[in-house]
Amino acid sequence: MNEELLHNLADLSKQVWGYIYPNEIEVHWSIMIVLYPYLTGLVAGAFILASLVKVFRVKEVQPAYRLAMLTALSFLLIAPLPLLLHLGHPERNFEILLTPNPSSAMAMFGFVYLWYLMVVLLLEIWFDFRRDLIVWGRAASWPLSWFYRAASLFSNDISDAAVRFDKKAVQVITVIGIPSAFLLHGYVGFIFGSIKANPWWSSVLIPIVFLFSAIVSGISLVLLLYMVITPLRGKSLNMACIDKIASFLFYAVIVDFSLEALDFIHRLYESEESIKILSHMVTGKLFVSLFVMQVLLGMVLPLGMIVLVKTVSCSEDLRKLLYFTSAILIQMGIFATRWNVVIGGQLFSKSFLGLTTYKMEVLGLEGLLVALVVLALPLVVLAILIKLMPPWHDEDEPGPAAAGETPATPAELPAPTASAPAPAPDVA
Amino acid sequence: MKSLLFRPVPEQITRLSLAFALLASGVFLVRAHAIPQTWLDREYHVKSTLEREANRPRRFAGAQACTECHEDQVKEKAEGNHRTLACETCHGAAGKHVEDPTETKLFAPRLRDYCVLCHAYDPSRPTGFPQINPALHNPLKPCIECHKPHAPVPPETPKECAACHGEIERTKAVSSHAALACTACHDAPDAHKVTPRLVRPTKPQNREFCGKCHGPKSEEKKAPRVDLAAHGERYLCWQCHYPHLPEGK
Ligand code: HEC
Ligand code: HEC
Ligand code: HEC
Ligand code: HEC
Ligand code: HEC
Ligand code: HEC
Ligand code: HEC
Ligand code: HEC
Repeated sequence: MNEELLHNLADLSKQVWGYIYPNEIEVHWSIMIVLYPYLTGLVAGAFILASLVKVFRVKEVQPAYRLAMLTALSFLLIAPLPLLLHLGHPERNFEILLTPNPSSAMAMFGFVYLWYLMVVLLLEIWFDFRRDLIVWGRAASWPLSWFYRAASLFSNDISDAAVRFDKKAVQVITVIGIPSAFLLHGYVGFIFGSIKANPWWSSVLIPIVFLFSAIVSGISLVLLLYMVITPLRGKSLNMACIDKIASFLFYAVIVDFSLEALDFIHRLYESEESIKILSHMVTGKLFVSLFVMQVLLGMVLPLGMIVLVKTVSCSEDLRKLLYFTSAILIQMGIFATRWNVVIGGQLFSKSFLGLTTYKMEVLGLEGLLVALVVLALPLVVLAILIKLMPPWHDEDEPGPAAAGETPATPAELPAPTASAPAPAPDVA
Repeated sequence: MKSLLFRPVPEQITRLSLAFALLASGVFLVRAHAIPQTWLDREYHVKSTLEREANRPRRFAGAQACTECHEDQVKEKAEGNHRTLACETCHGAAGKHVEDPTETKLFAPRLRDYCVLCHAYDPSRPTGFPQINPALHNPLKPCIECHKPHAPVPPETPKECAACHGEIERTKAVSSHAALACTACHDAPDAHKVTPRLVRPTKPQNREFCGKCHGPKSEEKKAPRVDLAAHGERYLCWQCHYPHLPEGK
């Protein structure tokens, strides 16, 4: 033991309360690992919202369907990034895919991810946009025309029959897609829930809680994006659409809230040996992020606002304002949820006798700045996607009346102008 | 209607299958030719990991390594209160020192800040673990001026129970039992303060014990009375009242 080490130890001991094993002082799963379930949750949630439109034929939400799909895609593309940044050797990640290890749940992520990306999301988007891609490809000039052609896999059949087949395919994929989205985020919950040694994580309810919080976050994200992008395009919001999304959001939050409350009560009642240190943590280090941010601001307040909208008849502007605020609060709340799970699970000692402190880096590879960049990236990807593949049909926009129309009805086929990538103002 | 089999395969399916086939064959090609086959071999993985670990430089010498040259300290420690600590806990990794003791000297934690890592007062430490408050306990002087590091004993036997049972003492001090001495309820032989784990004090055994003061025939004026026969039925009093911080409301 040299002096320097000694002083470091003495310094470290200040960020510790009570007794803690030496390897627990530093929190290893950093904010990057908080971002990971947060981002995948948004993907699963946005996709499930989109699926509702297809499977249950919720006509009102049709204007947001394609936006939801592209949102899911752009967040999915970025979702592995925080994991890669967290790896010591990100360049070796492909080894996990080439040499699968089925006995490790964590090593399976690549496969769950690829299944969801290739078999569900890309495929559904491909079928849904195929006709448009062809039409755009014909109208655009080089090099964009090549992009469209490659994206449509050089297909060029836009006959009625082919388009009908596309629609049927979308329907089938959605049916596979819903369980797959459940799998994706259920899997992320499973990663945590299956860790026996950690009482904060180990719970069979965790995958389900994760799933519903994912649905909540995804729906609110699509609502937010729709409410931001539409005015930017100079269009007016389709009130029927956002009313409907908000009411989905409402039910999802209620289920999520009850599940989390159930989990909480269950823990309290079981009162296992860890309960003392956990309640210490919950009422101390996690108080603000759990009770204030997650529960009060992230759930109770938005619930209250939506209940208000549902019971009292409000003007459209007020409704928009309330929806918008609650969607933002919910995003913050779900982020706090992820934070509380990931960071909370590492704050207490497995000896159940002490707590440590998470000190977030600012500049490092796993620091705050990089985290902000990772959070912003999906939006950049989404902006590019929207620019290339505008997810709207202008005939959808004017008002609720046209909302029921599904995109690309065969009748309007030969009219490429309607859905061709519109000139600049169309894009966020 | 034509049966499914005879319909022409839609264009989409052909193209998608082609794309997937390309991708899949790419993966298989890479797996078969571009990566070292040892990656796919589990046994090799385990073996190479073991080799890698075994080849790491050994930094610790182990608990037995010191006997050879430092018999005195080893013997002293084996009989003292630090017998459960490894030498390298305090002196650091000694792998190099064992190989060449004159070349690599070990560090000895002679200052206060090391001992307090284990001995500073912390409520989560088990009952009876020797703890002190570093700010109050003979401040500024190095611990080893008064305690031998290899066989620490208090230079004089502590007089107060609080030296070792600080938390209980502090708890009791704010309770309604504050006026009672520990010895009112525990018969603590003096030897307990010297070898606390070998000689143990008594603990109250039955309800009648508390009844001495709280029963109807008590001579203790301030103690509230309870009906011993009915109150708390057949449970021991301390199943409901923590004796060091009793609450009765
Ligand atoms: C091969 C014999 C040998 C072994 C084995 C050995 N030492 Fe030493 N050690 C020495 C000698 C010789 C010295 C005196 C060196 C000097 O003063 O130059 C010494 C000195 C020391 C000192 C004194 C340093 C100081 O600042 O005064 C410490 C502490 C020490 N050894 C600890 C250990 C520990 C702990 C182990 C077991 C892991 C160990 N030694 C194993 C031979 C050995
Ligand atoms: C609680 C921490 C601690 C442990 C455990 C410990 N030492 Fe020490 N050791 C010290 C300190 C402190 C000194 C310095 C004493 C001094 O300067 O008076 C020291 C000094 C020494 C010295 C120098 C000679 C002397 O006695 O001053 C040797 C040799 C030594 N230790 C060997 C060992 C060996 C061998 C073991 C294991 C059997 C061991 N120590 C375990 C703290 C420890
Ligand atoms: C790695 C933790 C650790 C470190 C470091 C450590 N000790 Fe200890 N100490 C112990 C343990 C364990 C005991 C035995 C407790 C028991 O008997 O329950 C003990 C016992 C003691 C006792 C009480 C003996 C008694 O029971 O009356 C004293 C005094 C003491 N140590 C002094 C020191 C001094 C001085 C140092 C610094 C040189 C030191 N300790 C460093 C763990 C440590
Ligand atoms: C001036 C001499 C002196 C110094 C310096 C000193 N102590 Fe003590 N220590 C004592 C005496 C005397 C007692 C016993 C009386 C009492 O209870 O305070 C004692 C008791 C203890 C006990 C309680 C013993 C038990 O069985 O519970 C521990 C632990 C202890 N000391 C550790 C330390 C540590 C660690 C340091 C350095 C930070 C230190 N001491 C510095 C004199 C000293
Ligand atoms: C030198 C330190 C020391 C002092 C001084 C000391 N104790 Fe203890 N005491 C211990 C230790 C160590 C234990 C064992 C704790 C354990 O095994 O969990 C213990 C245990 C006890 C127990 C529990 C016995 C049992 O079987 O569970 C009682 C009661 C107790 N002490 C009372 C006292 C009283 C009363 C005094 C003062 C008159 C006192 N002690 C002074 C160290 C001390
Ligand atoms: C009113 C009577 C009473 C007084 C005064 C009292 N105790 Fe106790 N103590 C008890 C009883 C009863 C138990 C047994 C509790 C049990 O078995 O669960 C006990 C248990 C203990 C234990 C072992 C269990 C534990 O809680 O760790 C220790 C150590 C102890 N007492 C120390 C002390 C010390 C030190 C004092 C003085 C500061 C003290 N007691 C004063 C009644 C008393
Ligand atoms: C030596 C006498 C004595 C013994 C033995 C004794 N007590 Fe007490 N106890 C008192 C006195 C005196 C008070 C009241 C102090 C006051 O209110 O100022 C008291 C108060 C209490 C209270 C009421 C606290 C309140 O807030 O109203 C409870 C409960 C209690 N004791 C339980 C116990 C139990 C359980 C035991 C047996 C482990 C016990 N006592 C043993 C003297 C004793
Ligand atoms: C089943 C749990 C239980 C048991 C066992 C128990 N008590 Fe109590 N005790 C209580 C409760 C609850 C109260 C407060 C409500 C009341 O006054 O009944 C209380 C109150 C008291 C009071 C305060 C009364 C007052 O008027 O302030 C004393 C003194 C007391 N108990 C002593 C004892 C003694 C001595 C024993 C053992 C013979 C004992 N208790 C056993 C539950 C219990």
